[in-house]
This record gives sequence, C-alpha cells and structure tokens, in this order.
Amino acid sequence: MTNPATLPYDAVLLPLSRQRGVMGALVAGEADGLIIASQMQYGVEGDAISALAASLYRKARLSAAAAGLGSVQLLRLEAEGGHICAIGRDDLVVVVLADTRANIGLLRSTMMRVIPLLP
Amino acid sequence: MSDQIARLSNELARDPSSLVFLALAEQLRQNLELEVARKVALRGLDRHPHLAAAHELLARIHADLGELDRAFEEWEMARQLGPARSGPRKGMGFVRFRQGRLDEAQRLLEDAVALDPSDESAARALAAVRNQRHQNGGGNGTGNGAGSAQGVEAGNGAGVTQPAPVLSVAESARQLFAPILGDGERTALLVDGTGLVVAGAYLTEDGHDVAAEIGAELSGVPEEAQRAVQHLGLGAWSCVVFETEVATVAMAPVHTRHLLLVAAQRSEPLGYLRRMLERCVDRADRWLAEDR
Repeated sequence: MTNPATLPYDAVLLPLSRQRGVMGALVAGEADGLIIASQMQYGVEGDAISALAASLYRKARLSAAAAGLGSVQLLRLEAEGGHICAIGRDDLVVVVLADTRANIGLLRSTMMRVIPLLP
Repeated sequence: MSDQIARLSNELARDPSSLVFLALAEQLRQNLELEVARKVALRGLDRHPHLAAAHELLARIHADLGELDRAFEEWEMARQLGPARSGPRKGMGFVRFRQGRLDEAQRLLEDAVALDPSDESAARALAAVRNQRHQNGGGNGTGNGAGSAQGVEAGNGAGVTQPAPVLSVAESARQLFAPILGDGERTALLVDGTGLVVAGAYLTEDGHDVAAEIGAELSGVPEEAQRAVQHLGLGAWSCVVFETEVATVAMAPVHTRHLLLVAAQRSEPLGYLRRMLERCVDRADRWLAEDR
C-alpha cells in the first residue's frame, strides 16, 4: 500500500519493500518515532513498528556512543517470528520489518546502498 | 561434525604421519571438543615429538581445560624446541597471569613482544598485566615486589601451583570466552540483569578493562528489544546486532536474566561473529549452570 507522502522516498523504500519476506519499510524520525513515509503490507501496523524500532535504534546509538564504540550505523533485531532492521542518517531512521524468509545479507546490503539516497 | 573437521579427519586417516593433525586439533579445540583435540594432538606428538608447534597446540588445549601446570610445561617444551618463537612465551605469560604471578607474567610477555613486536595480542596482554600490577600496587602484595617472593606466594610445594583464590576465580571468569575468541580483536562479556559484568573482559588498546562501563551502557538495549518483539508479536528475541563505526556488536539473552555481548572489528564477517555469539552463549549457559 503506497501513500502520496512516500514519493520523495520511493528510491529508498521500494528496493527494500520488494524483497522477499519484507512486510514493510518506512522512514521515521529517530527522536519521535513518527512515520515520514512508508511502504507497508496491508494489515501491518506501521505506527507501532516505527515507534518501537526508532526507540530501539536510538537506545543502541546512545549506548554505543557512551560505551565508546562510535556511532551505530545498522541495527538488526532477530526474533522467532522475524527481523527488524534499522539504519540511520542524520535524524532519520529507515526501518524494515521482515519475516523469517528474508535474505538478511541482501537486505543489509540494500539498506547500506539506499541510505545515502534519503532526501 | 563440521565439514572442515570431517575433511581434516579424512586427510589424517589417509596419511597418519601428515602434519594435518595440527589443523584438526586446532579446529576441534575451537569447537570446544577439547578431549578429542587432546587425543589428536597427543597422537600427532607421538610421531612428531620435536615439533614446537605441536607442543604449543597441546599447551593451548591444556589451558582451555584449565590444566595450567601442564600447559606451562608444554609451552616450556615448545620454547626449548623453538627459541625464536614468541608464542610459547606468550602462553607461559598467560599461565602466570592466570596464576596471579604477575612479575613472571610481565617478564615472559616482555620477552614475547621483544621476539615479535608485531604480535598485537602479546602487546595487549603485556599492557593488561602492567595495568593489573599498577592496580595492585600497594594492595595485598600480589604481583608486587621481587620475583623471589612470587614463588612463595604462588606455592612451590610438590610442583602443585596454588593460585591466590580470589584472583583465580576472577581471572577464570575474565578468561571464560578466550578459547572461543582466539587471538583477534574480539571480546565477549556476560552481564547480569542489573548491567553488572559477570564474566569476560573488554580491554582497550592501552590494556584497561572497560567491561563494567560497556556492560552498564549496553544493558539497556535488551529492554527495548523485548518491548519491540512483545508489541509486534514476533516471539522471543534471539539476538541484536549493531554495526558501529569501529566495531560490530552482537548480543543475546542467556537464561533470560543475563545478556551476552560479543564485539569484533568491523572487518570480521557478520556470519562469523554470529557463530562466535552462539558458541559464547553456549559456554556461558554451561558456566552459569555449573555455578548453581
């Protein structure tokens, strides 16, 4: 399901949302977790994913910086039922929700490739 | 059995006098199949008794099994057979460090670094020993003072080394994951539910152990992970991996109340890091079970 707000972000979201196992991809503000643009499958709760993933990413970024590990680039949470992947730039975060069929290596490289395309 | 172990076993079966036993025993050691690794190494040594590398390998296996005196003897043998090798001195220094004999550890590691200045792990170990001695300075005397005092404190009767108990327990926890992590720039920590380090170490380049700070800072991440999977109905989380500018960090829950964290340089393949994480979780799991 596409909404008009995604148009400037299509170059980022489409290569991600078309991959096998991906249930949705979105761009959100890292600080507030609010969706800026999204490409979600019907029935997938974008708002909840956005808020939780942005919060997780932010926590990891702040913790890693405090621990002297430098800034976090890509984060992946693996669970029994799927994966949440997040990658950030400036104050934005790109989030992908995928099920267990996803090819994580391919998803990761696509996320690294599209992050510079964020408007 | 991994493909590589099967391949090496077949190769050794075809040619029992081959030096492939070194690679096979090392692979078994890394897979924590230590008794099998020991048998392979001993069989190899029967055929190649003057091979310094084989004695070094057997020493590492003994060390992983916690048999520090035997490990020291094998490293000593390797040192005699290959005086130009830095590995035996590094190993002997490691044993003395574990035994709390810091003066000796420092001397041996200084020799190892002098023999091979490019050996970063020896340099880091030396820095860690110096740092430990610095921290002990003015304390209970362990590792402080002349070398002759060390022998008395560490026990010299009947050839049985008796390390200072407190240091021994702490060091065994610190070294819990060392056999899995190997010599690369990798580290592993086991942190409890309150963010306190239970086992493992995180050494900076200058030898300072910053495990407590790292553990405390990163222990909040699992709460967020738990919240996310719960709300999204993804089931239990099994790991969080994040890639930073300087390192890749992977963490996984152990026994629900503990968190295991493995960090490696960015250049390490992600799949290998993941494998190390699984093996460290397994090790921590068994270690915590033994502790009960």
